[in-house]
Amino acid sequence: MASLPENDTDFHAARRASDHESFLVHRRMRWAKVAGALCLSAFLGYFLIDQQPRPNGGSWYGYTLGTIGLGLIVWLSLLGVRKRNMSEGRWSLKAWTSAHVYLGLSLIVIGTLHTGFQLGWNVHTLAWALMMLVIVSGLYGVAVYVLLPGQLSANRKETTRAQMIAALAAIDRQLKHAAQPLGREQSDLVIAALEQDVFGGGAWARLTGRYPNCATRRALCGLPDDFRTMADNTGPEERVRVLLRRRDAQLGQIRRHLRLKALLEVWLFVHIPATIALLAALFAHVTSVFYYW
Amino acid sequence: MAFLIRTIDHTAAGREIVRERMVESGSLTIGRAAENDIHLPDLAVEQHHVRIVPAPDGGLRIEAVGTLGFGLDGRSVDAANIDPREGGELALGSSILAITQGDDGVVGITIRQLETGEGEGDVLRSFALASTLPGKRALSWAFVGAILAAFLAVPIVTHLTRERIDPDAARAGQVALDSSWSTGRLSLAHHGLEDNCEACHVDAFVSVRGSTCLTCHQDLGEHTTAPRLADGRAPLGIGDAVQWSVAGLFGKEGPGACTTCHTEHEGPTRMEPASQKFCADCHAALDTRLTDTALGNASDFGKAHPQFRPAIFTRLQQTAPVRISLGDKPREVNGLKFPHDLHLDPQGGAARMAIRLGGGGYGSPLACKDCHTPNPDGIGFAPIDMEEDCESCHSLVYDKVGSTFRTLRHGDVRQAQADLIAMDRAPRRPVVTGRTRPGQFARGGRYYSNFGPPVSSFVGVNRALEPGGVCSECHLPTTRNGLADVMPVNLPDRFLIHGGFSHAAHRQEKCSSCHKAETSETSTDLLLPDLKSCRECHLGEDAVKAEVPSSCAMCHSYHVPGGSAAQGHPVMRRGSVPTVNRMGK
Repeated sequence: MASLPENDTDFHAARRASDHESFLVHRRMRWAKVAGALCLSAFLGYFLIDQQPRPNGGSWYGYTLGTIGLGLIVWLSLLGVRKRNMSEGRWSLKAWTSAHVYLGLSLIVIGTLHTGFQLGWNVHTLAWALMMLVIVSGLYGVAVYVLLPGQLSANRKETTRAQMIAALAAIDRQLKHAAQPLGREQSDLVIAALEQDVFGGGAWARLTGRYPNCATRRALCGLPDDFRTMADNTGPEERVRVLLRRRDAQLGQIRRHLRLKALLEVWLFVHIPATIALLAALFAHVTSVFYYW
Repeated sequence: MAFLIRTIDHTAAGREIVRERMVESGSLTIGRAAENDIHLPDLAVEQHHVRIVPAPDGGLRIEAVGTLGFGLDGRSVDAANIDPREGGELALGSSILAITQGDDGVVGITIRQLETGEGEGDVLRSFALASTLPGKRALSWAFVGAILAAFLAVPIVTHLTRERIDPDAARAGQVALDSSWSTGRLSLAHHGLEDNCEACHVDAFVSVRGSTCLTCHQDLGEHTTAPRLADGRAPLGIGDAVQWSVAGLFGKEGPGACTTCHTEHEGPTRMEPASQKFCADCHAALDTRLTDTALGNASDFGKAHPQFRPAIFTRLQQTAPVRISLGDKPREVNGLKFPHDLHLDPQGGAARMAIRLGGGGYGSPLACKDCHTPNPDGIGFAPIDMEEDCESCHSLVYDKVGSTFRTLRHGDVRQAQADLIAMDRAPRRPVVTGRTRPGQFARGGRYYSNFGPPVSSFVGVNRALEPGGVCSECHLPTTRNGLADVMPVNLPDRFLIHGGFSHAAHRQEKCSSCHKAETSETSTDLLLPDLKSCRECHLGEDAVKAEVPSSCAMCHSYHVPGGSAAQGHPVMRRGSVPTVNRMGK
């Protein structure tokens, strides 16, 4: 049967440690060192060069940083293409991902120094802001990939998603049968609970785990525990109540799963469109600079 | 124990067939084998799969007989206890056995076939967040479309289709949304063009041209002729050569272009003058490239700058001033006798006289300002005016009529002589007082005659222009065209004609800090401070420890090389900059 969650995560942690190397520590953080060196030299150059009248994206150093930044951004965005082609070794996807994360972080320094800290309401700052949005969403992604999978598997308790749905279906079939003796009002409550889509509620409900319009919860409220029936809890209402409670518990597990999964996936809905928008903004940025040369 | 077994099947048409039978038994067995109480003809079910027995707590215990488990309420288990009043659902193969208990205590087991193909794949896909959000691809395309349209297509199309006119600060630009391309605010001088990008950015992908600048700045002076500029320029260093070759590839004009020094979009400030290095690039070793130049090499005011060469008069009656280096200790010959020490000595006669004069700006020993009046611009001083600046002491009065003094006309020798001669005709004191002559012989009458004694003039007519005469107190008597005269006085308007020196910028200094007037005994002393004296405060641009790090542009103008700094040039604004009071130092 299902083992305790602590044992479960401990086991996975042990397994990870034994044969799995995260892309974050790939090759003793080779790409973190490369990115760190890149940032350091960018900083050194920025503070050693006395650009008059003020540091500027249009100075020779500004253009150099801009060119490096542009190259990095284009290459980083190619991860989307690269990950669809499997290979191993020096340019394994893990190495590529490691480089993607650390070089992406170094863009905070390179891109910001390229601006010379001159920000305004223009297409150039738009590109910078989109770049920062992409980086921050990526950082979030790395963080949740480290933190959430353990919670996700703890919540599953060795059941698969299909089994969660099957369990809900089994409860629903029994509910349908058990609710037969109920009156109109209570039947309607059960019908509403049965008809409500498990996956409804929208993205916000998924991310927060709050379902204020949960029909199962409402049905439970509509079938209150009546102290007068406590002596005899074999009535049809009590059976429906038990099944509704079981349904509520099952829904809770599914919704926790949905929430964790949504938290794991939501950054991609920022990261990817913002990356593509960034490429467009970069194109407009570079073109406008040379257009008004 | 009694079990009510209800089997539900469907006909081909979908109609339900319900069969019921009662089983009275202590336990209930389920499996594929025919001897089971419930026989399920399904290969996924074992021969003897599950046994249901009453549990001690009044419920039912369901346990697997073989090694294969079973499904209970959607979960796979090997054994479980259930309360039949709450019910449960057993899943074995494709059969579902719903367990219930009625009020009569009979456990009912309803058997039906699981409907297959409910689209499990779709259900699993619903677990992904993507099922509730618009697609990443759609979002991406929407952003790309919006950005490219607003920040690229609109400005480019309106730029290409605009009406071509000369730059006009009074008109708003015709290009739409190109303010989103601006990399920063324009300098204050160009503020009027803030919304008129195409005034400077005339052609697409063509860098801002100097010729475009000249459509407004057409009166700008040339530093020198273009070939001479090219000859004078030092060969580029490796770094600069690489930069300019790259810039050339991208269509920049070159080192001599306006935009090389005058960078824009640097914020709403004044345009900063060029750096010292910009001048030093050519002037550090100019003589090696322009062998005929009269200019000394200069690269840093503190380290390499030629001695000042003021324009002065060195001979009497010289027509134009000549420039002589202060290093040659030149004497100025301006035709005037003026010992500064005599006038500035606080114990001397001039001081006594000034104290005795009292009001009208006097009352204390003479100071520089008593004679030298600054020009309104504060840069230089007005020429000395005898009547204004000297006459309080050096009186030009030669006569008194009633309460009115008559003064000589200074600067016009012939007129002064005529005045002195004519003074003789003025009314004289009567010979005898108390008696008037009668009738037409009286004063005012037709036959009145001036028989009084001659009045001694304040100024001797004949001796005035002689050596030792009153004029020679300050002037050198001479004879011109046979007539007595004085030497003309020659004083240059400006000594340092190629520098933008401003006295107002130095107003916190005392005059004597730079001009050694107190000890000057003769007017041939040139009281100008030399390079060394200026360097006490002014050193080169990079001399951070100097009191005033000074770039070339502090005194010199690029566009008017022979003149002082242009109006609005930083050096011209120094008068309005508050300075630290260092008078007590």
